[in-house]
Amino acid sequence: MSTETKTAKAKSFFKSPARITLLIAGLFLIISLVESITGSVDISSPGTSGATLRFAIPLLMAGLGGLWAERAGVINIGLEGMMIVGTWTAAWFGYLHGPYVGILAAAVFGLASGFFHAILTVKIGIDQAVSGLAINLIAAGAARYLSGIYFPPVGGDRTVSPPVETLPSFTIPFVADFFKSIDEKNIFFLSNISGLLYGITRDLSVVTVALLLLVPLTSWILWRSKFGLRMRFSGENPMAAESLGINVYRTRYIAISVSGMLASLGGAYLALVASSVYREGQTAGRGFIGLATVIFGNWRPSGVFAGSLLFGFTDALRVRQAESVMSLILAAGIVALLLAIYYSVSRSWKPAGAYFGIALFALWVNQKVDTIPQEFVTVFPNFATLIVLTFLAQRLTPPAMAGMPYRRGAE
Amino acid sequence: MSNVLEVIGIEKKYPGVIANRDVSLQVREGSIHAIIGENGAGKSTLMKSLYGLIRPDAGQIKVFGSEVNLKSPQDAIELGIGMVHQHFKLADNATVLENVILGSEPTRFGFVVKYDQARKKLLEITKNYGLDIDPDESLSNLGVGERQRVEIAKVLFRGAKILILDEPTAVLVPQEVDELFANLRELVKNGLTVLFISHKLDEVLSIADDITIMRQGTTVATRKPKETNKKELAELMVGGELPKPKAGELKVSSESILSIKSAAYSRADGREILHDVNLELHGGEIVGLAGVEGNGQSELIELIMGLAQPSAGSVQVLGLDAATTLTREIRNAGVAYIPQDRQRDGLLMSAPLWENRILGHQFADPMAKGVWVNKGAAIEDSKRVVDEFDVRTPGINVLASALSGGNQQKFIVGRELTGDPKLIVAAQPTRGVDVGAQAIIWDHLMQARSKGAGILLVTADLEELFSLSDRIAVIYSGTIVSILNPAKTTPEDLGLAMTGAKSA
Ligand SMILES: Nc1ncnc2c1ncn2[C@@H]1O[C@H](COP(=O)(O)OP(=O)(O)OP(=O)(O)O)[C@@H](O)[C@H]1O
Ligand SMILES: [Mg+2]
Repeated sequence: MSTETKTAKAKSFFKSPARITLLIAGLFLIISLVESITGSVDISSPGTSGATLRFAIPLLMAGLGGLWAERAGVINIGLEGMMIVGTWTAAWFGYLHGPYVGILAAAVFGLASGFFHAILTVKIGIDQAVSGLAINLIAAGAARYLSGIYFPPVGGDRTVSPPVETLPSFTIPFVADFFKSIDEKNIFFLSNISGLLYGITRDLSVVTVALLLLVPLTSWILWRSKFGLRMRFSGENPMAAESLGINVYRTRYIAISVSGMLASLGGAYLALVASSVYREGQTAGRGFIGLATVIFGNWRPSGVFAGSLLFGFTDALRVRQAESVMSLILAAGIVALLLAIYYSVSRSWKPAGAYFGIALFALWVNQKVDTIPQEFVTVFPNFATLIVLTFLAQRLTPPAMAGMPYRRGAE
Repeated sequence: MSNVLEVIGIEKKYPGVIANRDVSLQVREGSIHAIIGENGAGKSTLMKSLYGLIRPDAGQIKVFGSEVNLKSPQDAIELGIGMVHQHFKLADNATVLENVILGSEPTRFGFVVKYDQARKKLLEITKNYGLDIDPDESLSNLGVGERQRVEIAKVLFRGAKILILDEPTAVLVPQEVDELFANLRELVKNGLTVLFISHKLDEVLSIADDITIMRQGTTVATRKPKETNKKELAELMVGGELPKPKAGELKVSSESILSIKSAAYSRADGREILHDVNLELHGGEIVGLAGVEGNGQSELIELIMGLAQPSAGSVQVLGLDAATTLTREIRNAGVAYIPQDRQRDGLLMSAPLWENRILGHQFADPMAKGVWVNKGAAIEDSKRVVDEFDVRTPGINVLASALSGGNQQKFIVGRELTGDPKLIVAAQPTRGVDVGAQAIIWDHLMQARSKGAGILLVTADLEELFSLSDRIAVIYSGTIVSILNPAKTTPEDLGLAMTGAKSA
């Protein structure tokens, strides 16, 4: 109640972003170190950071979609299907009327798919997982069916849409050039960081920038707006919300519709920005990874963003050189070693031993294995997801009633 | 003084039960009006009608002299009626301020919440009425007493003139009750009117200006505390004489039922909740565990039930090491558990009673038949529990959520006392039950004791503690600070020990 606790809170608030920045800088220092040892510079190359961002955006949109639904108390397994809706409608309407109409169409149809999930789960009270799965199946089936009807055959192939005009992109003037010049000078650490920054300041799509803005916007809505407060309570304790005269059903309808729209926009990005066609299977399970970023991000927009960057990064590595995975293993080994030292200093022998083991293993792999099999590189993102979720599971605070059935007037 | 609230001939039917009929009530402005009655007498139902949560089938409600038609809580709030529910309606994962303002947020342009202004208003309210809460505290850090103050602040924030509290004292320890009553007096001094439900007749006599008694769905009488006494009230409630618990004689066996040796427990975040706890419990005795809520009682119970592992020391339950034994095996060995939060840990609210009878006994005879549950036995035994413990319900096929709070409690107690358990961990066993049912439950606990069971009784009810316990262990700030003999201890001594003052 005193001002003391308040200042303490304020302090920890300012402390944590500073801590995170320091942590990231430290990690990056290690990566720079590893790169100068191994001579591979792929992790911090502009190509990797650019690709990371491109891969992260669809995951981010799916993640934000999942977050909107779950914060309001409904789990949205249908994200994958809603992304398919986005890829198909964006490509088809984009082909007919230009890419901007394509994006608009994806937003509208995504909203509709979310609304459908809301009718099934909120109004009719169907199990949320069942409804989500149904949406995934329907969307995949409908996309194939409609492709067959509408797309002109390209060499007998009806699973690909005709190409859509590309959207404009731009390079941030001066800033990008500045980073580029430093990157080329090959200074330890500084050049590595500049390389990374150069990658995300050049050839930026306007859509990328617009979609990135949804992260702070979602935060603002959740913690500053009236709707956000009501939405959070719909997910935490709908009975309480209802008893205070809040229309939980309506709140959920809106939130789930927005959820569909966001996921669908992620699909539109895949079709119109990351490529310029619709292709069957284009979403490739990103809706589910998006769901994982929600958990990874502890149901916070900034956390979802961080999660999508992580998964986007592992994804980017997959399509780039396999050696960089090796550098990453070495970097992980060094991090584990540092953690082992940290824990032995504070005399927590169990974690110290565990981290020491991990470090040894990483170094062993680095020494003994020459080439990482491509298969491993492919499953790496899934593996990373699993590890991260295992370690984080203890500290998560999910919305208390997310996934639970709720009927109006229940006690 | 004029009547701020008047109820004329209200009626409400549920399938198979008449929850309210012919209910009449007059509440004077600036008074504290108590409603008492047995479990299932229809008190909560009446309050829900007054708050617009349910719509009565017939009858009139007048607020400030004019007849009203309450379609939703929103209507009630607009008329200045606020309600604190029997079961709190709060979200853990949010701050006090957010919980308070939800639904009547002050906004800019209709959608930006003015958190600063809201905080200022809340601080003003908490100051004026002496409600000690911090707006920015996360709700998950608050104990029951504080949560209740949040609920009251919530109602006041909406500008309520009439406050309805459903069993506000059931979950509080004596000190907290005193604090609550001080708060309530402050409210009526400021011109507000308080309507509250209670099962504790002493309390009602000490604080209320008027007392209305309900029986079997209807209001039977209204009394002033000066003109009545406990006995008359109790008889009006049950319509006859009260059963008396028979005190059996003390036959403590040498068998150690529960043995806790220098046990400690830390939460995942590293906070130490319990340290150096030592407790021995033998067959045939009742040990009362007294303490202000949040001093480690819940965690101690979790250690005993094998729901949590001690970080140091040992917990032996019926000779089993609770740290390494599955909760299922602990239960099968003959441990009964009456959890303190009946709706969270004791019942499946959306399952019928007979299914709830199986809960916790699903692996042992007679509820299990091989890998199947034995539906027939469950149904039969549910009927027995309903009879023996006087659970007021239209049948055993109704959902647990259709029972009144006290009847839910009776059902759980009945279920747990089945099958001659050797150790009974009873947390707040009579929370929210009426005096008649309380006597029945006490009687059953005493019978279990004379059959040789050891009972750990965790209770906030001093009367219960003193009349049942053979020994009283006082827990304070994570450890047992003293063991008292109830016959030689005064409530004042106990109160001092519970708050950490030098033990008696
Ligand atoms: N939703 C419901 N559906 C069916 N029956 C109900 C429902 N709610 C209450 N009842 C029944 O109405 C009667 C009155 O219940 P009520 O909750 O008003 O009792 P109460 O006086 O508050 O009791 P307690 O002291 O135990 O809280 C009980 O018999 C109960 O079983
Ligand atoms: Mg009640």
